[in-house]
Amino acid sequence: MASFQLLVNGQQHSVDVDADTPLLWVLRDELKLHGTKYGCGIAQCGACTVHIDGLPIRACCFPIGKLAGKNVTTIEGLSEVGDHPVQLAWQEIDVPQCGYCQTGQIMTAAALLDRNPSPSDEDISRAMKGNLCRCGTYPRIKKAINEAAKTRMS
Amino acid sequence: MKTNRRNFIKVSALAGGGFMMAIAMPGSAALSRMLNNGQAELNNFLTIDTAGNIVFKLTKHEMGQGSGTGLPMILADELGADWSKISLVRSAYDPKFTSREMGTTGGSSTIDKMWDVLRTAGATAREMLKQAAASRWQVDVGTLQVANSEVINPESDERLSFGALAADAASLTVPENPPLKKSEEFVYIGQSVKNLITKDVITGKANYGINVEVEGMVYASIEKCPVYKGTLVDFDDTEARKVSGVLDIIPVPQMMGAVEGHFVQTGVAVIAKSTWSAIKARKKLRINWDYETKGVSLPELETRLTQKAEETEEAIFERGDYEALKSADENEVFTAAYDNPYQAHALMEPINATAHYKGDSCEVWVGTQSGERVSREIIKLTELSIEKITINVCNSGGSFGRRFYADSTMEAVFLSKELNLPVKVTWTREDEISHDYFHPYQKSIFEAVITPEKKVVGWHSSITRTENYHSGSQQWEIPYYFPNVRTFFEFEPSIVHTGAWRSVAEHSSSLGRESFMDELAIKLERDPLEFRMSLLDHEITRIGTDSFADTVYNYETLLNGRYKEVLETIKSKGWYTRSSTPGKGVGMAIENFGRTVCAHIAEVTIDASTYNGFKVDRIRSVVHCGTVVNPHLGLGQIEGSIILALSALQYGGVEIDGGRVTRSNFHDNRLVRIDEVPEFDVHFIPSDEPPNGLGEPGTPPLAPAVLNALYDATGVRVRKIPVLKEDLNTFQTTV
Repeated sequence: MASFQLLVNGQQHSVDVDADTPLLWVLRDELKLHGTKYGCGIAQCGACTVHIDGLPIRACCFPIGKLAGKNVTTIEGLSEVGDHPVQLAWQEIDVPQCGYCQTGQIMTAAALLDRNPSPSDEDISRAMKGNLCRCGTYPRIKKAINEAAKTRMS
Repeated sequence: MKTNRRNFIKVSALAGGGFMMAIAMPGSAALSRMLNNGQAELNNFLTIDTAGNIVFKLTKHEMGQGSGTGLPMILADELGADWSKISLVRSAYDPKFTSREMGTTGGSSTIDKMWDVLRTAGATAREMLKQAAASRWQVDVGTLQVANSEVINPESDERLSFGALAADAASLTVPENPPLKKSEEFVYIGQSVKNLITKDVITGKANYGINVEVEGMVYASIEKCPVYKGTLVDFDDTEARKVSGVLDIIPVPQMMGAVEGHFVQTGVAVIAKSTWSAIKARKKLRINWDYETKGVSLPELETRLTQKAEETEEAIFERGDYEALKSADENEVFTAAYDNPYQAHALMEPINATAHYKGDSCEVWVGTQSGERVSREIIKLTELSIEKITINVCNSGGSFGRRFYADSTMEAVFLSKELNLPVKVTWTREDEISHDYFHPYQKSIFEAVITPEKKVVGWHSSITRTENYHSGSQQWEIPYYFPNVRTFFEFEPSIVHTGAWRSVAEHSSSLGRESFMDELAIKLERDPLEFRMSLLDHEITRIGTDSFADTVYNYETLLNGRYKEVLETIKSKGWYTRSSTPGKGVGMAIENFGRTVCAHIAEVTIDASTYNGFKVDRIRSVVHCGTVVNPHLGLGQIEGSIILALSALQYGGVEIDGGRVTRSNFHDNRLVRIDEVPEFDVHFIPSDEPPNGLGEPGTPPLAPAVLNALYDATGVRVRKIPVLKEDLNTFQTTV
């Protein structure tokens, strides 16, 4: 067990955990940020996606010991009041069914639009294929990303 | 306090001013009695405060099917409410409030069963608000109108808000038979109102069971015996206890449930200060198990299923003389057998539960389809009376039948009792896949007797299904008419836990039946769509007078019309024509779930570059479910059902080796991803009939529609899912 400093959503935190503890469990159990979801623990489903220095990362496989100096953004920090263009598009298209995977979907989509503001359908599929949705909201996820891209451009 | 004995509605003043309606759910005889005796607690089913805020208590479980939006829409419509004033509170499970049946969510029955209840409740409140306004204005109530949470006097154009009328309305007599709206008067029903869950979901605030935090809570992860019904011999936890954060390690016995036959697999629980510590320590446990049943492998089960089907001698349904026709020399017998294997639920939110046993009371937090089952298990484990038990129902990150079972609650309550602490049990993904309550394995053998005139005169089906305790009803009825029918249905003990899975028995049965219909049509050189239609066009006759005969008769009568309408629609839209291009195929299938009838037309392309050797390009669907309460959410259910069924078709089944389920996570229990989704074209048949469910009906016809399309593309008949690349090899080597 050791003490680790981490910067999450612009706030500095200190946690006492083992160095191999995945960021996911630090967020959920130590910082009580429950928007980041546990889905598989092996980076196969994307439910735990957060941004580390702006890149979409699976928090379930990112050990806290490697986080020094990095900036973490979770769904709780993506926007102040849920008005990030991707969140607004998700509301407009009304994507969620059970909703469990959607925070991970949104984080992946937001990172995609940051590096590719007008993705093709193929770009969307490629970027989003690491995020599973058991409810099958994929058609609406595609629509919402196109919608978010439009509003960001305008 | 005013009670309407007929509708079991009670209205009283809301604390702080306003209107409060309590309601007894149908089937709750005890509650009705209590209401009539003035003993029932107020259950705040619907409240309107003096500011006009309307709070609706959600008694059904929201797990992604959208009922948390559909139900208040129905109520708001009859009430004449402003939708923006409606908010929802989730009801904890309370047997004083709801009956066993209405306290369970499943079978795509929520909207169907709540339709009358909600409309009556909404209309009752609306009439009382109108009456309050009529008294205030001294006018005839019949002249008043209601819209957007206001009562309006069209003569004077005066308006009074619900908030201003709520207190007065609460003191009035509850009307006996409030008039219900006509369908053309609906304001919300039939509109694509947005899901009430969305805002919380997109900000990460949605309250799933896995997010529950209770003060002083510890975290548990349980290493379960890998083989069904195996037992724990002993374990060495020396290394596991060295993991930082570990608090305790406790054996979990095999627990028999209150529901007969249900049990929780034995295991060893690691209790820790965090989920990760518990998961990490589990891997360091050294456990000796006794695989009492000597673990059965899947091929062995498949042999048993076939044997059982062949040995069965007693028909559960017979019409005419099938055997005589079959043995007639001039007739031809055509047969085929189909396998629909075990399927995992693979819920995005792994199974979990949090419990706090305090000696004289117990509180549980869990996403569950059946608070009633949860309550029975807690009573059995704690010997507490129901009054001492609180069940907080959380959102579920998917369920599809899985959260009908109370196993994780049993684990959490057991551990909390052992530790005298609040405990959250979280299953890992590996637990969730390898210890799932799998969709049962079903083998279906069909036979048809064909005359020299190419007429099908006899239909035989023999269905064998794994079962260990309630995991959904059997399904064998067919919508098509044959003069001679013989049906066998048998259960074979399962080698793993089984449970309800989206569309339950219909998914199991549809694959064989609708594939066989396609095979028969093609053998007879008939168009599969026309062939199906020809078998629906008959007088429905009652055979026998007993209740079983009634069941068959009612079933056939009710559905016959909808099957015809769906097939006619496919025909008139020109959606089904077999492909003339090798390597491309079109296939169709139709099935009902409850009273909803759904047909899919699948279009496939053979493509050796894909995992399965083909891709599904498009699914067109025609659905008859009566009134579509919310087309946007309804469409989502159909698309989602198709995608779930497509995962089963492409990647489903589970491998079982010596009793061990060898799949463990999403790398080997693959699911359809965003780049594999076909195009959709869904048509709901317009209807004013009461609404029927949409959560499950889209699932059953998907697999046979695709299998039939694959045959159309290749001439290769695949009779088992998942479809493997090698299944289509004979075609690929010939082109």
